[in-house]
Amino acid sequence: MSGKTLTKAEIVDAIYEKTDRNRAEVKGVVESLLGLMKQAIKKDHALLISGFGKFEAYDKKARKGRNPQTNQTITLPPRKVVVFRLSRKFRAELNQL
Amino acid sequence: MNKSELIKTLAEENDLPLDEATTVVNIFVDAMKETLREGNRVEIRGFGSFKMKDYAGYTGLNPKTGEAVHVKPKRLPFFRAGKELKEYLNE
Repeated sequence: MSGKTLTKAEIVDAIYEKTDRNRAEVKGVVESLLGLMKQAIKKDHALLISGFGKFEAYDKKARKGRNPQTNQTITLPPRKVVVFRLSRKFRAELNQL
Repeated sequence: MNKSELIKTLAEENDLPLDEATTVVNIFVDAMKETLREGNRVEIRGFGSFKMKDYAGYTGLNPKTGEAVHVKPKRLPFFRAGKELKEYLNE
């Protein structure tokens, strides 16, 4: 394991190499893609990328919490959270050994 | 929304031919899959990050039959939503 991390810049580079666009254009398209993905998760509550997985947004109810430092009881507000569910196909690919 | 709808919307919003939008989405997804397959991390600022987690094998019980089942060790990606995505969802 080399411990390298894939970032947005590397994704932009990989796309730049395969298209006739300049880097700024590619960066713009990648930002637009991420914006659309966020929108889909928010509006449809789900974004399905076949062969990879599904991002799902669901509601968490308000619950009582406690500040562990002051022991004060607080009410945590209801909020939306995102989970990623792995596609069966990709899961099998990751564990074929 | 699914992948083909995402590609179509990306093409429309950016005045891109459909095949180019397809290339963009495929390279993006394939790069993430390849990185995770190698056991490395993915970090997309504003969206979220993925890392691979190893799970040890264990002997479990089939709740219906009470039979012992051996669950093999596995590795699965774990996604954490980024700050911006969390805030955007809760706006």
